[in-house]
Amino acid sequence: MTDRDNANEHLLGLLQERAKELNCLYRIDAILNDESLSLPEMLERIVSALPSGFRFPDVCQARIVYQNRTYQPAGFLRSDISAVCDLKVEGGVVGLVEVLYTREVPMVEDGYFYDKERQLLKIVAERIVQTIMVRRMKQVACALNSPPPDVGTPAWASPPQWKVVVALLLETDPDMLTYVCRKMLQHLSACSSNAGGNRPAVLNQRVIQPFCSGEVNAPGARMTGQELAQLSEETFTLASQQMSDAEIFMSMRRWIQEEKANSLITAVERIGGSVGEVVEAISRYYHMLDRHSPSAFPAERWLEVALIRRFLSDKPDFIRIARRFLKIHDFYDVTSRLIYPSGSCGKIGGKATGLFLAQKILDRRSGEIPLLASVKVPKTWYVATDETTEFLQYNRLQGLNEQQYKSLEEIRIEYPQIIQLLKAAHFPPGFVKSLAMALDDFGQAPLIVRSSSVLEDQAGAAFSGKYKSLFLGNQGSKKDRLEAVMDAIAEVYASMYSPDSIQYRAERGMLDLHEEMGILIQEVVGTRIGPYFMPSFAGVAFSNNEYCWSPRIKREDGLVRLVLGLGSRAVDRLNNDFPILMSPGQPELRVNTTPDEIKYYSPKQADVLNLENNAFESVDIDSFLRNYGDAVPDVQHIVSVCRDGYVRATSALDIDFDRDDPVVTFDGLARNSVFIKTIDRILQVLREEMQTPVDIEFACDGKQFYLLQCRSQNSGPESLPGLIPKDIERSNIIFSASRHVSNGTIPDVSHIVYVDPDGYSELQSLDDLVAVGRVVGMINAMLPKRRFILMGPGRWGSRGDVKLGVQVSYADINNAAALLEIAKRKSNYVPELSFGTHFFQDLVEANIRYLPLYPDDEGIIFNEAFLTRVTNILPRLLPDYVRLAQVVRVIDVPESADGKLLQISMNGEMGDAIGYLAAHAGRQAVPRRQRPVSGKAERADELRFDQEFWRWRAYMAERLAERLDPVAFGVKGAYLTGSVNSGTAGPGSDIDLIIHFQGEAEQLRRLKSWLEGWSIALAQINYLKTGCSCEGLLDAHIVTDDDIAAKTSFAAKIDAITDPATPLKMSDRQT
Amino acid sequence: MERAYNPYTTAQAQFDKVAAIIGIDDGTRDLLRQPLREFHVLIPVHMDDGSTRIFNGFRIQHNDARGPAKGGVRFHPQETVDTVRALSMWMTWKCAIVDIPLGGGKGGVICDPHNLSESEQERLCRGWVRQLSRVMGPCVDVPAPDVMTNAKHMLWMLDEFEVIHGGKYPGFITGKPVGMGGSLGRTEATGYGVIYILREALKDLGIDPRGTTAAIQGFGNVARYAGSLYSSLGGTVVAVSCWDNSAKQSFTIRKKDGLDTAMLIGITNSYGTIDREKALAAGCEVLPGDDWISQDVDILIPAAMESQITADNVGRISKQVRILAEGANGPTTPDADERIKERGIFVIPDFLANAGGVTCSYFEQVQSNTNFFWEKEEVLRRLDGQLTSAYRALYDLALKRKMYMRDAAYVIAINRVVQAVKMRGWVR
Repeated sequence: MTDRDNANEHLLGLLQERAKELNCLYRIDAILNDESLSLPEMLERIVSALPSGFRFPDVCQARIVYQNRTYQPAGFLRSDISAVCDLKVEGGVVGLVEVLYTREVPMVEDGYFYDKERQLLKIVAERIVQTIMVRRMKQVACALNSPPPDVGTPAWASPPQWKVVVALLLETDPDMLTYVCRKMLQHLSACSSNAGGNRPAVLNQRVIQPFCSGEVNAPGARMTGQELAQLSEETFTLASQQMSDAEIFMSMRRWIQEEKANSLITAVERIGGSVGEVVEAISRYYHMLDRHSPSAFPAERWLEVALIRRFLSDKPDFIRIARRFLKIHDFYDVTSRLIYPSGSCGKIGGKATGLFLAQKILDRRSGEIPLLASVKVPKTWYVATDETTEFLQYNRLQGLNEQQYKSLEEIRIEYPQIIQLLKAAHFPPGFVKSLAMALDDFGQAPLIVRSSSVLEDQAGAAFSGKYKSLFLGNQGSKKDRLEAVMDAIAEVYASMYSPDSIQYRAERGMLDLHEEMGILIQEVVGTRIGPYFMPSFAGVAFSNNEYCWSPRIKREDGLVRLVLGLGSRAVDRLNNDFPILMSPGQPELRVNTTPDEIKYYSPKQADVLNLENNAFESVDIDSFLRNYGDAVPDVQHIVSVCRDGYVRATSALDIDFDRDDPVVTFDGLARNSVFIKTIDRILQVLREEMQTPVDIEFACDGKQFYLLQCRSQNSGPESLPGLIPKDIERSNIIFSASRHVSNGTIPDVSHIVYVDPDGYSELQSLDDLVAVGRVVGMINAMLPKRRFILMGPGRWGSRGDVKLGVQVSYADINNAAALLEIAKRKSNYVPELSFGTHFFQDLVEANIRYLPLYPDDEGIIFNEAFLTRVTNILPRLLPDYVRLAQVVRVIDVPESADGKLLQISMNGEMGDAIGYLAAHAGRQAVPRRQRPVSGKAERADELRFDQEFWRWRAYMAERLAERLDPVAFGVKGAYLTGSVNSGTAGPGSDIDLIIHFQGEAEQLRRLKSWLEGWSIALAQINYLKTGCSCEGLLDAHIVTDDDIAAKTSFAAKIDAITDPATPLKMSDRQT
Repeated sequence: MERAYNPYTTAQAQFDKVAAIIGIDDGTRDLLRQPLREFHVLIPVHMDDGSTRIFNGFRIQHNDARGPAKGGVRFHPQETVDTVRALSMWMTWKCAIVDIPLGGGKGGVICDPHNLSESEQERLCRGWVRQLSRVMGPCVDVPAPDVMTNAKHMLWMLDEFEVIHGGKYPGFITGKPVGMGGSLGRTEATGYGVIYILREALKDLGIDPRGTTAAIQGFGNVARYAGSLYSSLGGTVVAVSCWDNSAKQSFTIRKKDGLDTAMLIGITNSYGTIDREKALAAGCEVLPGDDWISQDVDILIPAAMESQITADNVGRISKQVRILAEGANGPTTPDADERIKERGIFVIPDFLANAGGVTCSYFEQVQSNTNFFWEKEEVLRRLDGQLTSAYRALYDLALKRKMYMRDAAYVIAINRVVQAVKMRGWVR
């Protein structure tokens, strides 16, 4: 054998030894990590595993001595060939680990054991100590958190729990023990000045001494382990003489928790202390604390409030409510998924706060209401509000904050650029890293990036639809997904500078308030169905039902709007589609009862995420169900089947999506699940605890119910309770109501269409009864949109007997602002009203309000004199129907009431509504034809915007007329008509002009092209002001002498009775 | 209040007018101008909230000389006895004109189903049957769905009746779903019925359907089946009007060389609105909603709602129009009817034109009574036969007596009932 071979063999031998040692270490590690083993079991197994790591396992044995017990294999033989390592805790020796050979073995360089083997032994000893410590600490925590012992229980008599804790603390946390001793001594001296004499004070002195030893310049000596042991023994001996075991234990537990909170307090307390520190402290606190014990000490209360202020809101009302529900450890949910810049002082924003509080409230109440325990919140990451500032500063874009003070035109011009600017901007590296982490946490689940700004969702400011919420498919490579998230966040940030949101803030006097944008990144609730991702169903729910469809439904019964797929369709009012409405307090009373109604008013489209092209889409429900119906989780609760006019909820098995006619009804959900009950309880609990009616968004993936948003219901302008003025002169009141009143205000009603109940019931011919409906339909098309109300007897739109109510379809009333049904007592009964059932959902989606009037009720005012005696303009409007003038009365309110308008205020909280005559509700708005011609247009942002729409249009029309050369164009006159003339123009309205033309064909051609130029320019101005874009803004109707003589079409508007066109002054040159 | 419009007095006036034409004796007149039997019942219903509400119910059997009374059950919050009386009388005439062996009845409960939960509605249905089960039955009086009642209610009522009488009596009620005693062909019945009769009318007027054109108001069930059967006879549907759900107004789709009903159904959404864009793409024109009435066509088929042809728009009817087939209920107001009569337009009055529905109900009852159910073809074949002979009898009379079709229809119907009461010896 050569040297070289020897060397090789030696090397191989060494390598084999290392491998053995490693294997042994792994085995021991596994034993140590096995929590199911008791300590003796663990040590016994280590004893048998350890020899495998040594050179001659067959003759090798191990033993462990710990706490006066020896763990060794059967047939253990003592030997001198051994290696020993002590088990040390806090510098003291508590045992040893020994390995020995039972017979002589070959020696190596410096003895019987390799260096590496000694090292292995040392490592094993250390790991054993570590494991023992960890186990003890867990015991401490466990002991502290266990329920207070029953004093009378014999089991408690020995050994006292506090003794265990003291012993453990002595070993593991001397500082804590010192603190506990000090608290105990203070407690003893305070409560037992007689029994213990001055002993506690003396002992206390010893505790304090090291820390405050007078004016000595040398640092105080720290107490040694032995001193501490002695101190604690004396202290607790003293304590046990005066206090029961249970008392001692409880006190200790409280003090320990208090001390643990101290680090957190320090972090929160420091002004300017960053979110990072607080997050760190909360995390430490969270891992130590018992989550179920009641709030135990005042500092904790203080802390909770400090944290609420820090992360959620500093509004006193909010804090008052929130602190009843939020515990310190709850903040861990937020802070563990919070993305924040270094040194952050940001909050999580309004939307996130609302949701967080609601979730915690439901959680707290789930003990007594088990239904609430099933409510989940999707996984959410929060981006702190001041990350916006960080982002802007990082990109040197702070200048954008001036944006809100620019004119709306500038804002509108610059907005598209701002979006691009922000999308092109770079995210601070820390931000990117955190987002990457968040994405790892989310995986490839589709996401929604939602705004959660500081001002959002505060009372009176819902910002609904002003700030963006963006859906992301979140598919593909990590890089793509990260970019998509950043892109979405940039876009949400940009929406702070959108004309819409700035305008919204301006209108509410919030322009000068500090705004920062927090972000919620939430997992979209749902499942994958074909190429789509969507919840089975989603919707919104309201504590107050402002649209009761039956007198049996109370306002407090609430309202749910439900749709298949993403909830966006339930949130928005829909033009062409209907969500399913239910009242959680009265789930059995549905809006639609006949199969025809049920089918007509069922949702026809669903919003989904298409994961194949990462797009948000609306799909046709019919074809969706045909293709994927079977794959929709919980589909039997969503659709009913309509066969032979029989609509019924059925089992999933019984639905044949190829052949059946499935209708989305949610009947199964209402009847065969706890859904409605759950919603009902959620609304009740949140209303009760948040002390305001709420408005929630939710979604369900077919299994779990998720809460997505929660805010005060009164934040929407539509549902604000109307003010009921008490000082209105009786003669100015047109009606009052006190039954089935909901919230709302209908200002500045200019016309009343009153169908006289007596006159109507006296009509003899069927033709006349039918004609009343037709007349209403015609008037509906003539009067200014949403500026008139309909009042009439009985059941409007009733398809049964025409006698019982005016026969109209929704199209005949769709421009009205409100429908008021009058239940006038007939000889012996009060007729039942329809509550608009026949087109109820149409009314809801168009926000046409409904109010029933009961003129014969006590205390109710019904000004029949006004309604029946003032001038009826029907004969002027529809001369052909003069015969119905006794029945249909059209009242021009300002004309009949000295320029006053009808104001309707409905206050559901008080259950009162009133319609009264008063001056225009807007401060300055007087329709164009009633005000002196003003030469000056005011700045857009100084005015209420709805007035501005017609103001500048009227101004421009005047300028146009001034410059219109009558001679050159052959024009005899120009008139303003339409919505600008009536002062009702909206952001997208045309300027309607009537041009009285009397010239040659060539002149007409030039006139048209001249007007065309104006039209394009005006459209551009309108776009800048409102964001509504169109080809041209002018709608010029050319009329001739013949037209005027024949009063055809637009010519009839000149000198018309209602809404006459206003002549515009042209330059003095005349044809 | 006495001056107010009352459907019952209107129905009586109409009857009196026809009675005068036929020359009915006083006894028969007094018997037929009012219902034979009226039942007014109270129905206590235990409500979901624990309270009890009492509902007023009716069943009125106007006449059963020709067979068991037949007629719907209405749930209506402001139902009046007079409305139910008038409707029961109309049912007698309607069954008589198609010559099916049934009398006329109607019933109802004063209630608004919108204010009742489904279980309350069930208790109400069962309560109604409990109160009336002794005076109704497959051989006595057969209810059917009507305003705000549907198959669901019918099955509850049937079940209660069967519980009380201890047997299976599917012929007690009609309007049941297929498989639960319902009849096939029900969906097509009314629309097809309009065209079976139109086909006969064209024969009588010596017009070849293949050269004819028609405009249809509406694009619901009746209009669709009428349109497709008319096309298969070789006729050309030039225009249909349709409701636009988003614009909240109706519009007319026109294609002078003929609309393809199947194509239109293909581009119609679930609200029954035809897609304008697709219609334009298919070469159709889109016109205002009431333009269907002014088309230069041979045939007008109003198949949407009542009171659509009024004194205001009757003048817009093209001179070319020869036939008005009333697929809807009461599409022509009395004033407009006068003008149409003057113009000499051949009218197929509503209560014959849309009698396909009630005829199919009768077939359902026949099938239920025998517990043997026919194929759809069988149902439609019999429907054709029944309506064709009913029309034939009517036309013969109108021709012989030179009467306006609508008047002739009442005459023939009432006369059949008169004969029945006389043959039974109720009146001598």
